[in-house]
Amino acid sequence: MEIATQNEKNVLVTPPKKSLSPFAIARKKFVKNKLAIISLLFLLIVTIISILAPYITTADITRINIGQMSLEPSGKHWLGTDKSGRDVFTRLLYGGRISLLVGISCTLFVIFLGTLIGSISGYFGGAVDSLLMRFTDFILNFPFLVFVIVLNAILFGKVNGLWVLIGTISLLSWGGIARIVRSKILAEKENEYITAAISIGCSPAKVIIKHLLPNILSTIIVQATITFATMIVAETGLSFLGFGVPQEIPSWGNMLNSANEPDVLQFKLWIWVPPALIITITILSINFIGEGLKDAFNPKSKR
Amino acid sequence: MLKYAFRRILGMIPMLLLTSIVIFTLAKLMPGDSLSGEIDPRNTNPEYIAEMREKLGYNDPLPQQYFRWISGFVEGDFGKSTRFKIDVSEVIGERLPNTILLGFSSILITYILAFIMGSYAGRKPYTLTDNLIGGLNYIGLAIPSFIAGVFAIFFFSFTLGWFPSNGSVDIGVTEGTLEWWLSRFHHVFLPAVVLGLLSTASYTQFLRNDIIENSRKDYVRTARAKGTPERKIYNVHILRNSIIPLITFLGFDIVAIISGAIITETIFTYPGLGQLFLQSVGTRDYPVLLTLTMLFSFLTLIGNLIADVLYGVVDPRIRLD
Repeated sequence: MEIATQNEKNVLVTPPKKSLSPFAIARKKFVKNKLAIISLLFLLIVTIISILAPYITTADITRINIGQMSLEPSGKHWLGTDKSGRDVFTRLLYGGRISLLVGISCTLFVIFLGTLIGSISGYFGGAVDSLLMRFTDFILNFPFLVFVIVLNAILFGKVNGLWVLIGTISLLSWGGIARIVRSKILAEKENEYITAAISIGCSPAKVIIKHLLPNILSTIIVQATITFATMIVAETGLSFLGFGVPQEIPSWGNMLNSANEPDVLQFKLWIWVPPALIITITILSINFIGEGLKDAFNPKSKR
Repeated sequence: MLKYAFRRILGMIPMLLLTSIVIFTLAKLMPGDSLSGEIDPRNTNPEYIAEMREKLGYNDPLPQQYFRWISGFVEGDFGKSTRFKIDVSEVIGERLPNTILLGFSSILITYILAFIMGSYAGRKPYTLTDNLIGGLNYIGLAIPSFIAGVFAIFFFSFTLGWFPSNGSVDIGVTEGTLEWWLSRFHHVFLPAVVLGLLSTASYTQFLRNDIIENSRKDYVRTARAKGTPERKIYNVHILRNSIIPLITFLGFDIVAIISGAIITETIFTYPGLGQLFLQSVGTRDYPVLLTLTMLFSFLTLIGNLIADVLYGVVDPRIRLD
């Protein structure tokens, strides 16, 4: 009894020092990671410039100008013009809009689907779990590229081209996220606070959204970053093959498509090198951000 | 172990059937059929087309068409290519050796490169060379294969002229001679390196980390205490332990080669299955498309199965029941 009061007194005398929340710790660690911050800045700049593209350049991206075909870089056309006489720099900016839009939308869809199915599967377990996981296995066993190309060929022309691509890519890529979220939920739901939440009558939806998901949010964020990079690769790769974004819409992949012609590849570097470089650097920087986040959220890493 | 592998193989059959239904439905959903692509409707009697459709069974109910297709498929009758006018098995058989050569060379090059880089970086961690290898790996993991391919053609084929940029063999070389084989290897080298880029990076990274981890273990300390030469510790004691887990990557390699082949073969205009697949989508050659999609799905299933089974072989603790 005496000890207890003494403890209470101590607590009163020295006001409790509030320790940092896990997210604050992660933020501090992340800010110290120079590579990740530089990458983040780069990605932000690319995004902002792409969004502001209509205000930065006034050149028409769709008009084919036969008089200015394949011009070398000059003061008027910073990065030259492509084989249809369109300014490469302008197309790069507009291409960024499309490529980043596809990347972000796909990531959002994939994370949403994966988290939904993963958390339902992990939380309920039993028959629901085995049914959903068999379905996930089924999706995971499709060769991704093959099915995206086939699905795109079917839906092409029926719906707006861009959303066909986003839909098909997303529908085929949520499997991995679902598995990861499920395994995290399985581990997390064994905690007593979950039992407590259930015992006071929380509905499953509330338990999952309010109690489980915030605790696995760090994993989801890291996965989202990795997915973002994968999705940009998927879009640019498919467009490069000619099965992605419709040809008339400029995207980084579509711009790189012209590298399929030996003449362009060998002699007209300004047409294909800029998109190739920007894709590579963007993906590298997303990966660096992902690594930084993974490191920041990892309680074992000391930095 | 055998029992587990057997059960997994049995479990594959319903998966394959389901996949085949999905693929068949998708192919049926594709706009047009093989007749609309081949015959110009302006100068062919529409009655004739309708008659042909009836004769080929395109008007039968879908389940009936599916069963006709799948039973033929199981017996090895894949139909006739509408583009090449020969059996699908022949069309695929012509391209298959090229893709197999590409896949094998890619795996082989991956193994050799990863072994050299990984074991060196693992032996001398945190040195300049290790950091260099680490940097290369990072680029290898991040750079998409089609960009790597484009740059590889530009530098090694056009600027330096070391490797050919397209085809699978020189024209005019007699088949079967030494010169022919050399020409084939010459053609396959660059695409194989590009195809194996991603796996080379992950193999190297894994081998390096595993060697570093192993070098801190007790058995290494014992070997050192006994006076075993450092070289022997790394080359024999550690390497043996570090290489075994690598075989689990083999299954994923098969999966990666399938999608990789579609991209790499297109960039290098290498006449393999991946290129055939894209062509068959473009020309609506459904029999070829269906067979290839089935083949790719089957190989992906096999690849995932191999990965799972090998995990169990390497580490009995994670054997799934």
